[in-house]
Amino acid sequence: MNKDFFCEVTSKCMLNEETALIEILCPEIASCAVPGQFVNITCSNFLRRPFGIASVNKEAGTFKVGIKIVGEGSEELASMDEGEGTWILGPLGNGFDLSNNKYILVGGGSGVFPINFLYEKLSSEGKSVKVVQGFRDASQIIMNNDDYILTTDAGDAGIKGNCCDGLNTLTDEDINGSTILCVGPMPMMRAVSSWAEQKGLDCFVSLEQRMACGIGICLVCVCKIKAQEQGIEFDHKRCCKDGPVFDAKEVIW
Amino acid sequence: MSERLFVNVGDTFLKSPIILASGTCNMGRELSEIYDLSILGGLSSKGLTIKPRAGNEGVRVAECKAGMLNSVGLQNPGVEHFIKYDLDFMNTLDTGVIVNVAGHSTEDYIDMVKALDPHKDKIDALEINLSCPNVKEGCMSIGSDKEQIKKIVGQLRKLTDLPLWIKLTPNVTDISSMALAAQDGGADAVVLINTMLGMAVDIKTRRPVLHNNTGGYSGPAIKPVAIRMVSECYRVLDIPIIGCGGISEASDVLEFMIAGASAVEIGTASLVVPDCPQFITEELEAWCEENDTDIRTLTGTLQLWQ
Ligand SMILES: Cc1cc2nc3c(=O)[nH]c(=O)nc-3n(C[C@H](O)[C@H](O)[C@H](O)COP(=O)(O)OP(=O)(O)OC[C@H]3O[C@@H](n4cnc5c(N)ncnc54)[C@H](O)[C@@H]3O)c2cc1C
Ligand SMILES: Cc1cc2nc3c(=O)[nH]c(=O)nc-3n(C[C@H](O)[C@H](O)[C@H](O)COP(=O)(O)O)c2cc1C
Ligand code: FES
Repeated sequence: MNKDFFCEVTSKCMLNEETALIEILCPEIASCAVPGQFVNITCSNFLRRPFGIASVNKEAGTFKVGIKIVGEGSEELASMDEGEGTWILGPLGNGFDLSNNKYILVGGGSGVFPINFLYEKLSSEGKSVKVVQGFRDASQIIMNNDDYILTTDAGDAGIKGNCCDGLNTLTDEDINGSTILCVGPMPMMRAVSSWAEQKGLDCFVSLEQRMACGIGICLVCVCKIKAQEQGIEFDHKRCCKDGPVFDAKEVIW
Repeated sequence: MSERLFVNVGDTFLKSPIILASGTCNMGRELSEIYDLSILGGLSSKGLTIKPRAGNEGVRVAECKAGMLNSVGLQNPGVEHFIKYDLDFMNTLDTGVIVNVAGHSTEDYIDMVKALDPHKDKIDALEINLSCPNVKEGCMSIGSDKEQIKKIVGQLRKLTDLPLWIKLTPNVTDISSMALAAQDGGADAVVLINTMLGMAVDIKTRRPVLHNNTGGYSGPAIKPVAIRMVSECYRVLDIPIIGCGGISEASDVLEFMIAGASAVEIGTASLVVPDCPQFITEELEAWCEENDTDIRTLTGTLQLWQ
């Protein structure tokens, strides 16, 4: 069950000039959020803004979201300081299935935030986790970790190339039996899902779509998903409620 | 529930004047997990068609100042699926069950009413949507022609005893003649208004934000237009009006009722604050107590300047 909470920012740090990581006090959300879920945050603009959950601290009752400034709403939210508050609806959507013991996480763009939450969760459970993260160039690198495989399109840090080039450096031992969880821009998720298919691995992606309600009542956020029923070409599934996580095999790119 | 809030829309009794507007509450499942929908006067289903519809592709929402554009395009599971999986659920909510009916042609509307009439014990009213701006044929084009409105309502009237609420489009020059045509056809009430046709442009790409190019504008920005239409129609109609458009607080409900509405629908506000109809209901109750007034006595008490 999701509810609207008035929440206070407990800390903020700028990861680079255009990206903030803010920590928010909300024991209700922190206690039940799972990786892949998101929150819908009120700003001064008419609609709320959806952001993936980047981390939770159950003891402190806090969670974090990473906000990249791309327009008015994200700019306002990224400028919130400690002590300021806003209404937050969440946690929303379906998280990733974490029942396997071996995972490869692939992140890019604002996908690095949910990937961070996945990494925290899976490594705390002692599961095998490899992470590949891709950025445009060295100046864009955020939420990175020395254990991760880093790629940049520009080649000024890590491996030159995209996430698939990063995935290609994994050994058969790393790959066999792994499930791939991928969050990032559409072209990246598409490429990673066909890489996974070639290797015969399960792959789940988190789709992004413009939203209004975030809770499944308005149908503005749909994604094209292969239909279950015969005779129908595709289903329009709600990204916010039926997703945002989908089996990559089901997605019509 | 306070006795102060009940209203009658023609022969239809509603516990409260507040109804959730079609397309902004799906079939009620999601919101019923957030607050108790039995405090409402009713809930109007997502717009239904004979066959399932996938709706429009691509971007379907564009944020605007004080509102939004949508171009969902009547995505719905089809009436058969609705009867099988949703109608009984809506009946467990202990609130008025309004079924929103859409179509592309007169035949579609006839088939819809024929499909729904056998389930009349589970339905409080049919809301005939002659006003969706997001589909290519039918709907809004029927609702902008008074002869067609009268004809279609007349044909539906013969098929069912269920209350027929005709939902009209504001995208016309003379709304009162459309409302009168619905009344002449035998409507029990009119619902004013559906969304206003609009467009938003992405200045970077020089393309419309919506992949349908145009969409329906809803939210606080359209409230003055809706109030004006309610007031205009109230002065010429004998049948009740359900007001809709931009309601986001209790005073908006009062404004609509004073202008002539017997009940109201809340749409887009639920997309921003999902439990706002609950707060609005509480505030209306408090207002009625403070003013020692039953809400139904407000309808049409507007005094125009001479
Ligand atoms: C499930 C989900 C999770 C997300 N997680 C993150 C995250 O962790 N970090 C992060 O920085 N961003 C994330 N985003 C993207 C973020 O929601 C947008 O960047 C933000 O809404 C932009 O708002 P704005 O006012 O700054 O931009 P504007 O472009 O001015 O916004 C105009 C409208 O378009 C919508 N919009 C614009 N860009 C996007 C987009 N990429 N996706 C969805 N809607 C958009 C806005 O919500 C708003 O309704 C996520 C989006 C979704 C759907
Ligand atoms: C996303 C969305 C979907 C809608 N779908 C329908 C629909 O299926 N049938 C209908 O009659 N009206 C539909 N409407 C119109 C609303 O019911 C309402 O008439 C309109 O939005 C104006 O009210 P508001 O400003 O309170 O939202 C929709 C509106 C929105 C925002
Ligand atoms: S944003 Fe409303 S259904 Fe997904």
